[in-house]
Parts: sequence; C-alpha cells; structure tokens
Amino acid sequence: MLKVDNVKKAFGPVTVLDGVNLTIKPGEVVSILGSSGSGKSTLIRCINGLERLNGGRITVDDFDVGKPKELSEARKRSATVFQLFNLYPHMTVLGNVTLAPIEVLKKPRAEADATARALLQSVGLGDRADAYPAQLSGGQRQRVGICRALAMQPRYLLLDEVTSALDPEMTAEVLAILAKLAAEGTTMLFVTHEIEFARQISNRIVFLDKGKLLVDLPTAEFFAAEGGMANPRIAQFLSKMRKD
Amino acid sequence: MRFSDFTPFDIWLLLQGLGVSLGLFLSTSLIGLLIGTSWAVCRFYRVPVLTPVITFIAELLKNSPVLVQLFLVFFGLPGLLHIRITPTTAAMITLSANSAAFVYVIAVSAIESIGRDQIEAARVFGLTRWQVLRHVVAPQAMAFAIGPLTALLVNQLQVTSLISVIGVVDLTKIGNILNLRTLKPFIVWTVVGLLYYVCAKLLAWLGARFENRLRAHAAWRGL
Repeated sequence: MLKVDNVKKAFGPVTVLDGVNLTIKPGEVVSILGSSGSGKSTLIRCINGLERLNGGRITVDDFDVGKPKELSEARKRSATVFQLFNLYPHMTVLGNVTLAPIEVLKKPRAEADATARALLQSVGLGDRADAYPAQLSGGQRQRVGICRALAMQPRYLLLDEVTSALDPEMTAEVLAILAKLAAEGTTMLFVTHEIEFARQISNRIVFLDKGKLLVDLPTAEFFAAEGGMANPRIAQFLSKMRKD
Repeated sequence: MRFSDFTPFDIWLLLQGLGVSLGLFLSTSLIGLLIGTSWAVCRFYRVPVLTPVITFIAELLKNSPVLVQLFLVFFGLPGLLHIRITPTTAAMITLSANSAAFVYVIAVSAIESIGRDQIEAARVFGLTRWQVLRHVVAPQAMAFAIGPLTALLVNQLQVTSLISVIGVVDLTKIGNILNLRTLKPFIVWTVVGLLYYVCAKLLAWLGARFENRLRAHAAWRGL
C-alpha cells in the first residue's frame, strides 16, 4: 500500500501541496489530473523522496519516505518514469536499463542483461539495446525510460507526465505500452494531461487543484454528471481540455 | 676542439634535463590530479567546514604567481619551520599544490555540468551518492573536463621551467648551462624550446584521443 497522509509542501512562501491524502492499493491504476502548477509533479517528487515534506507522511509498503533509513527501501519499491526521460546519455540503452538492477538490487550482470533485453523486446526496442539515448527518437527514449523503471520490478510505478514532451504519434506509442501494463495489473500512479486515456485505464481519478485534492473518485463516477462533473472547477477544467 | 663547441655529451645532458622536467611534471600532475579531484568530491558531498577551507586555499594558489609560491616554499618555509627543503622537494610541493588548485576548478565545473535531472533519476532508483558519482557523474564529468585538463597540463609542463630558478637541474637549467658554455643562445634555446614543444604536442594529442573515446556517446561531434 502506498499512503500519502496529509502531506504539505511549500517552496518558500508558495504552498504547493496543502494537506493531500491518497491511498493506492496494489493492482490499482490511479490517475492524477489537474492544471499545470496544481502540484501533481511535486506530489510524485514527494513520493519518491526528491522533496522534503513540510508536513504529513508518505509510506510505501510501511516504509517512511521521510526517514533517511527507510527511504532506500521505499525507493526500491517504486520506480519513476520522468517527463523529460532523464536517461543517462553516456550509457547505452542496455546500460540505462541495467544500472540500477545491478547496483541497487545486486543482480548478476547476465541476469540483469537478460531481463533488460526481454523488456526492451516487449516495447519494440529489441534491436536498439546498444544505441545511445541521443540516437533515439523521443518516443523511443521514453520507452527506454519505462523499461528502466520496470527493470526494478517495482510494486508501484510512478509516471510523471510521461507523454507531455512527445508528439501525438509518439504519445500513442508510449500510451499503448502503458495500457498493456495496466491490463497486466501493474500498480500505477499516473500524472497526466491525457484525459481520455486516463479514463480508459484508471480505476480511480484524483483531481488536484492549487495543492488540494478536490476529489478522489472511481473513474466512472468522476466523469458522471452527478459525480466529479458536479464540481464546477473540474467541469471547467475538463471542458477546456476537451476543446483541443 | 674548443670548449665552446657542442659535444655529443650535450645531447645526453639535454635528455637528462628533459627527464627531470618530465619526471617532475608527471609526478606533480598526478598528485595535483588526485588532490584536486578529491577536493572536488568533497565539494560534491558538501562536506561542512572542509569545503570552504578548500575553496579558500585554491583561491590563494590560483591567484598568486607560481614563482612567488616557489620562493615562499623554498626560502620562506625553511626559515619559518626550521627545516631543510631541497630544491626538488620545494618544486614538488609548489607544482603539485598549484596543479591541484586548477584541477579543482575544472573538476568542480565538470561535476556541475551534469544535468541535475539525471542525478535525481539515479537517486530515485536507489543509487547511493557514491554510486551516482561513480556511474553517472564521473564518466560524463571526465568527458567534459578532459579538454580543459589537457590545456592545463600543457601549461603546467611549461611552468616546470620555473623551477630551474631555485637550482633544480631540469631542461631549462641544462639549457642555461649549455648556453653559458657555448655562447650560442639561439641554437641552445631553439633546441630546448623544440623539446618542450614536442612533449606538449604529444600531450595534447593524447588528450584529444582520450577525449574522443570519452565522447563516444555524443551524437554531436561539433561543427
């Protein structure tokens, strides 16, 4: 269970997260929607321990992210895919995917290589294992980013606007893989602007607005007129997003 | 044969001088590289107290003439501490410290040139600070630093000629001796200069080769 408990985060005078509560059970796909600056990415950065909390608690399978001694265990249980890929440019695709399994999970190189190659195969990059990130397209890079996360066999996959830097074609490439993962029962926390896609794959949808969690509803309810849409802020957001 | 003629033995003398110069250059560069990089690593770990002290020392070393530092160590330290310092020791201390200061500056900017997002990614995947340094930062920082480092080393090689002033019998000192004996400054200093030139060129060539290897991952190879 991934638990976000009354989390507060401020950058100087600016409050970014203002008492957020969220629980994700294994097997769930939860999408976080909200306009830019609503605190979505910051929430992900808090969960994977990149930001220090100003209040509240985040636990990943009972390991407290805020405690330095438990952070490394918590980090082993989740893996992040980044908006701008954040690949290591000096390493080949294979090197990118195997670094953490070898160094953190202490897997033998042969085993890590085999896992990585299988993962790359499954996202259609079987023949690019020895390429460098600079030689790949954006969509390919993000698929590598996903493989890098999956190679850690995470219990929770954190996806931070993973398609925001991609054109529609590449977005489709990446979303197809995520849909497959969702179907396989991967637990995912999915920060996105792809509302239709979120609707298709999520069990629940969470709406963040100005650092506050406005609603946390099962997907069907979120889009129902008497559910999430009853909230004027959400109705406004969705109507604007759907115009394009 | 007149005393002012060149003899085959002069070549041997020049080679000996060159050996002393290169030996001092290589050993002080190596020590400088080790000290300078470990200073930079201290800064990467943000070690309290030590980091500002290192920065202060590096600033002193960078912003004063090497010759003055050499005089300070060779003439100043023995008087102050009541110890004996040979010219070679003084040269070793001064040149190592001076290299360290410049290596430090290069290493710090090289480390800081690595995108924060990659470091964060590695941290999120559970790598320790040391593992991040070793696998993510160091290889890329090396590729970044190798150009400025080569330039620094080429310069340090020339700077070693200063140690002839305190009596180390390096290539320049040999040049001086030959010059006084033969009274043919143009020939002597041309030969000495060429020897430095060849060594510096060799160094630059090695650096460039190494740089190409380290940048193998970059698709962009310059204009």
